[in-house]
Amino acid sequence: MPGLLQDKKFFGEDIPWLCALREKGADIFRRLGVPGAKVEDWKYTKPRILNADDFVWPEAPAAHECSCGCSHHNGEDCCCKQNLPLEAYQIRFENGFWQHEHNHLPEGVTVLPLDEAIADNEICRRWLGKIAAMENAPFAALNTAYLENGVFICIERGVKLDKPLAIISHTCAGESNLFYNLRNLIVLENGAEAEIVEYFHYSGIEKSRYFANIVNEVMVGKNAQLRHYKLQDEAFKAAHVSLSTVQVKADGKYHHFCLQKGADLGRDEVRVKLLDKGAETRVDAAYKMSGWATLDTTTLIEHISPETYSEQLVKGVVDGEAKGVFQGKIHIAPNAVHTEGRQLHKALLLSDTAEIDCKPELEIFADDVKCSHGAASGELDEEQLFYMRSRGIDEDEARQILVEAFLDDVLLKVDSESVRSWLKSKL
Amino acid sequence: MTPLLEIEDLHARVGDKEIIKGFNLTINEGEVHAVMGPNGAGKSTLSYVLTGKPGYEITSGSVRFKGKDLTAMSTEERAREGIFLCMQYPVEIPGVPTATFLKHAVNAVRKHQNLPEMDTFEFLKLVREEGQNLGIGNEMIKRPVNVGFSGGEKKRLETLQMSILKPDLSILDEADSGLDIDALKVVAGGVNALRDGKRSMLVITHYQRLLNYIVPDYVHIFADGHIVKSGDKNLALELEEKGYADFVREK
Ligand SMILES: Nc1ncnc2c1ncn2[C@@H]1O[C@H](COP(=O)(O)OP(=O)(O)O)[C@@H](O)[C@H]1O
Ligand SMILES: [Mg+2]
Repeated sequence: MPGLLQDKKFFGEDIPWLCALREKGADIFRRLGVPGAKVEDWKYTKPRILNADDFVWPEAPAAHECSCGCSHHNGEDCCCKQNLPLEAYQIRFENGFWQHEHNHLPEGVTVLPLDEAIADNEICRRWLGKIAAMENAPFAALNTAYLENGVFICIERGVKLDKPLAIISHTCAGESNLFYNLRNLIVLENGAEAEIVEYFHYSGIEKSRYFANIVNEVMVGKNAQLRHYKLQDEAFKAAHVSLSTVQVKADGKYHHFCLQKGADLGRDEVRVKLLDKGAETRVDAAYKMSGWATLDTTTLIEHISPETYSEQLVKGVVDGEAKGVFQGKIHIAPNAVHTEGRQLHKALLLSDTAEIDCKPELEIFADDVKCSHGAASGELDEEQLFYMRSRGIDEDEARQILVEAFLDDVLLKVDSESVRSWLKSKL
Repeated sequence: MTPLLEIEDLHARVGDKEIIKGFNLTINEGEVHAVMGPNGAGKSTLSYVLTGKPGYEITSGSVRFKGKDLTAMSTEERAREGIFLCMQYPVEIPGVPTATFLKHAVNAVRKHQNLPEMDTFEFLKLVREEGQNLGIGNEMIKRPVNVGFSGGEKKRLETLQMSILKPDLSILDEADSGLDIDALKVVAGGVNALRDGKRSMLVITHYQRLLNYIVPDYVHIFADGHIVKSGDKNLALELEEKGYADFVREK
């Protein structure tokens, strides 16, 4: 039965450490499997569709050809070749395969397909597989078992990237249930700064099923700053599971913002370790959904050292019979005094059948810390709706305006104006 | 005389409670009618029934607007047909800039009139022109709708919306509540500017004071869910002298 673990020919089967890493991933996944109802971490988001037995590995698209396979494709303008409508360095993946692009990258910036980086890049070899956890992350283990495709990004010491770097992942699935993994390694050396945008979208038949399994390993050096934005707009029968594991060194800053609006099962999980004094992070998210989807935002912020700082704002809009899930854990290690960790989740329920599951957890082992969490959910305000309608605005439009207004403050957390307005246009 | 609004033997309730009981009123084109009543008489309820607010249920009687059955229309259809409610308590909408809200409203009404949508430039010009007399500038319309507005600012914004949307029937619910005399003059100025012999108004108020600034053609006293006495503007003065108790007892 072609489940998630299949025999496959890999790049680099002659590299012992790589084979060992893959084998370790495969072992762990064999042991953990697709999480069932008893796994605490997955108790609200049930990845049942990943028990399917018809997964198919995508074929690498032929070079220089339009790869999306849509009947309407027209060369360079095709949906699968679309870049983000903003000034950015752009790299593209098609069904998990790297597509060659010409980017004139500034000095001190390395962007390589992961397999090339594994072969030649010292920094890549040093960090790959060292940041992401696998023991309590079955899909990261699975991703590691197939480690091959993805991007390696390194911003050298003190270099500030002048415009965002976009990683565009496009899926084109037909009748078959595609499964692919992407593994990205992002290293910001001390004092480096960058903005990275991940964009997941699709074309092809509307009901296409596929499983995109993403792992990001991120290292933010001393005094470095990474703003990591993401839009998940997968096909509505698709599964998208992503784990970003991040380490932040002294005075470094990591900001994550994820807007999820596609997929039947969507999970954006972020684990940030604030390693040294002065490290800080913001992990913000928004989700907007209807139908039968389950969209999950799961975070773990570990305050390892004193004087570290974290803040999270997660806001969701749930319609139809959809389910929004937020699990947020803040862990404060025994010596991590004078730290601050805050977390707030707010949801807007647009139907009687919409559901929200929220699990905040604070694990505090140090004294003298400031920690808080809060959660609220509500419905659209009838008075506001009536006020707008009494001015001639139609009910659907009025609802849309109020939904956008609800998400306004969390979108404002996106510092980059061009990225923010692009995200707003996708609401 | 062309009737604009015809209300016949209207009965309406909120929840289980019947508030409007046998209300009759015809407003012709160009006329300004004042409806005066004590607190709790059902004045705001009447304004909500006429604009179709959810939860306000008509149990019997009829309401026609421009000859059409008003009760069959949604709130937004009524607005596009030319009914505007200047609310006693304008609603705050955090996160929605006033300009965005106004532009959606203007374009909804224009679309209904088969006019092209206004672009941002034309729209801002319109707001500038209409806002000038009301003391509303660019700064104010960047703020979220009514959020943190003073009582006076809220009523001026209501008036601005009326000036921009140019409704055939304006229903003003306690347009003077919470206003000092200077603010009241500004608001009344805006309302009077719309009086052109064709547009009509239904001015709902507890106090006579407002009617010194917006002078009505007819005055009706509203108590216990219906009109107990009608007259011209002098009735308002009489009411001010005697108080409501006398009229309510007459019934
Ligand atoms: N939403 C509501 N639910 C229940 N009763 C209401 C509601 N709105 C108004 N009422 C009642 O209806 C009556 C009339 O209220 P209202 O129309 O606000 O009076 P007015 O505007 O003349 O002061 C009052 O007794 C009030 O308590
Ligand atoms: Mg009232």
